[in-house]
Amino acid sequence: MYNYKVQRLLNNLDKAYIGPVLPMKEWDTKIIPQTIKAILKKHGLMGTLDMENPINCDDDLADAFFKAGWELALELGMYCEDTERVIKITEDELLECIRDYQAVNILGEGQDQVIMKPRRPEDPYQPLVAASLGIVCSEENYLPLVQGIVKYPKLVDVLHGPTLATVFGRTFRSGTPYETLMGNYESHLKKEALWRAGRPGMACTGVAGAVTEYGHLGGAPELAGRGNVTMSLCPVELKCTFSNFHRIMQGLNYGHKLRVGAFSYIGGYAGPAEGAALACVANDLLIPTILQSDYTSSYVYDIQLFGNCGRKAVWANSVSIQAISRNTGFMRNKIVNETGGPCTEMFMYEAAVGLMNHSVSGASKTTQPRSAGGRYTDYITPVECWWSGDVFKSCAGMTRKDANEIAKKILPKYEEKLGAPDKGLPISECFDLVKQQPKDNYIELFNRVRNELIDLGMPLDKAFGETYMGKVSNGRRTIVL
Amino acid sequence: MAKEEILKRIAKLVAEGDEEEAVQAVKEGFAAGLDPLVILNEGAAKGMDIVSEQYSAGEAYLPELVLSGDTMSAVIEVIFANMSKEQAAASKQGVIVIGQAKGDVHDIGKNVVAALLSVNGFEVHDLGIDVTVKSFYDKAQEVGADIVAISTLLTTSLPYLEDTARYLTDTNTRNKYQLIVGGGPVTPEFAKKIGADGWARNAFDCVELCRKLVAKGNPGAGSTMIVDSEAV
Ligand code: B12
Repeated sequence: MYNYKVQRLLNNLDKAYIGPVLPMKEWDTKIIPQTIKAILKKHGLMGTLDMENPINCDDDLADAFFKAGWELALELGMYCEDTERVIKITEDELLECIRDYQAVNILGEGQDQVIMKPRRPEDPYQPLVAASLGIVCSEENYLPLVQGIVKYPKLVDVLHGPTLATVFGRTFRSGTPYETLMGNYESHLKKEALWRAGRPGMACTGVAGAVTEYGHLGGAPELAGRGNVTMSLCPVELKCTFSNFHRIMQGLNYGHKLRVGAFSYIGGYAGPAEGAALACVANDLLIPTILQSDYTSSYVYDIQLFGNCGRKAVWANSVSIQAISRNTGFMRNKIVNETGGPCTEMFMYEAAVGLMNHSVSGASKTTQPRSAGGRYTDYITPVECWWSGDVFKSCAGMTRKDANEIAKKILPKYEEKLGAPDKGLPISECFDLVKQQPKDNYIELFNRVRNELIDLGMPLDKAFGETYMGKVSNGRRTIVL
Repeated sequence: MAKEEILKRIAKLVAEGDEEEAVQAVKEGFAAGLDPLVILNEGAAKGMDIVSEQYSAGEAYLPELVLSGDTMSAVIEVIFANMSKEQAAASKQGVIVIGQAKGDVHDIGKNVVAALLSVNGFEVHDLGIDVTVKSFYDKAQEVGADIVAISTLLTTSLPYLEDTARYLTDTNTRNKYQLIVGGGPVTPEFAKKIGADGWARNAFDCVELCRKLVAKGNPGAGSTMIVDSEAV
């Protein structure tokens, strides 16, 4: 257990006490934006955002972002909020991290075990899908909902799971003893649901509802070892906190794999789409080196659109994912932030564009879905999870050029609505938890949109016929869910 | 330098977030005989329009907004110091205490809101993340706030918003502060349910909400003002 990763982690924690000291505001408003601007300029990357071609097909551009991201990572390092000091790394440390990085991540156990591999752009190896991406649900729905989420082994490989609104009927407030109890309770419910679904060995990624370390402390021991994962999320790009270190140490204590992430924001400290893409590349280099992640979970998010399915974010994610995929073996979980809710065309279109992009750009895994932006309780059903698996896996092996052409046709179907997305329906109105099937309204919508996208050229008709029990109608496939 | 030129320069420096130079330019304005109110409305406020528009168009970003907000605050302090008490009181936009509810570290949205409020001339006291009910109360009392603004993105932190409303009621201070709430899971219905004075969809709407609430007065009266630019 106390392997080289622990030693390296301790070295970096030590640096959090002795690195260059500066006020956080200076880091946020001067150092980050100025350095990013200067490096973008130096590498000729300003103005490379291509709104007409949201999925990047230019290898040279991806490589230029990699080179610039490498420089940014070495020049800045990560700022530790708790000590107000910078954890810097040397080029040797980064090279050592790349040299010693594992070839695969094995998640889960027994027949539910899955293997995560580094992927290159256009890689035919199918990436992994974890579901759901949190999303609050009522306590009574938790078990059947999780059971439904993991129903199809070929679509969902790993369980992250929804989060609980209450625990034993009590409202729980973040950071209180209710949360500590919730952690354990959520883990128990997940194990029970996996067992009921016949997938007891499936890996779990952390305690979805652990808003603070309390929930994590409560729930992680119940899911120790067996290829499970601890999740630790940094406050923003190029910054970390002791809360990150706590979760990581605790993950190591329980023999977990480490999934560590830091999001970059278009419109945030990193500035324009090019700046956010650059910061994302640097995150994906710094996080394994400093925080010893087994895989990272960083991506670009658009502050003004409350998600990342608009053109700018699709482009920034494509170029930053490709930069790392082409030049390192680092594995990454790449998230799509849909804004539309369950049983809407909008959700299906957003997920289609985002996941096709991440798949062809070289992500190793995703965690999905973010139905209705995760705002509302019970606005999540298994169908969005299955759809995510269908798209993400089917698109493995597509060319970026084809994906870009298809994305250009789908984007106009929803981009105007990103400011005020379609909320969709709560689970009770579009999914039958007892039968574990979508209701007729969702089946109709699902098949209609899916067939529409097949007609646009998405290769969905090949991959999961067996799992989905599809039958052909009017020359196209109708899915019996 | 001509008066017109000085006003233009103040606007430019506020928009660029150059605090030192902007304060210097305001002083030059006084020396050139410009009225403080003119400096505020035709200099600084123009700068705030420029940066707000740039942000909205995706041409300026959070750091620019923060620096511009800081500059606006510094400039306003100097301007008010040169006004009569009555004039300063009449020009004041209002004092706001803002923070992220307890347990919640999602601060990007709140930071945008706080910066845009500062840019728009409000005196903003940002308590940061993971703020307890008592800290909101203490700060509001200390600075004589007009508005207490709470943000959360976590359903499990929503109860703290209700707790705050109750705490203000229980301490007989509910009618001193306009309580406004916002962020992901905070819906207009929730705002009404807890008896908040206001809800807004985004940072721009929040500026409008705060202006209207300060003008309206009478906090804690039971009605909830909703500002939603996306409403159809
Ligand atoms: C970025 C992000 C993070 C970042 C936060 C970075 C930061 N420094 O802010 C990190 C990685 C740290 C994070 C952590 C977690 N997150 Co998070 N996160 C998000 C995400 C993707 C985007 C949020 C965001 O920044 N939006 C952009 C800003 C600009 O929007 P905004 O905050 O809504 O603000 C605007 C308006 O709402 C309004 N507004 C905001 N405040 C106020 C206040 C007032 C008074 C008014 C009037 C208006 C107003 O104006 C703002 C500007 O226009 C959302 C999902 C999503 N797509 O929204 C999840 C989300 C909020 N997170 C979620 C969760 C569960 C978590 C974690 C628990 C995950 C985990 N298990 O570790 C932790 C919790 C940490 C904690 N204790 O707070 C859930 C919450 C679900 C819920 N309903 O409770 C969400 C919805 C994701 C999901 N599962 O669906 N997260």
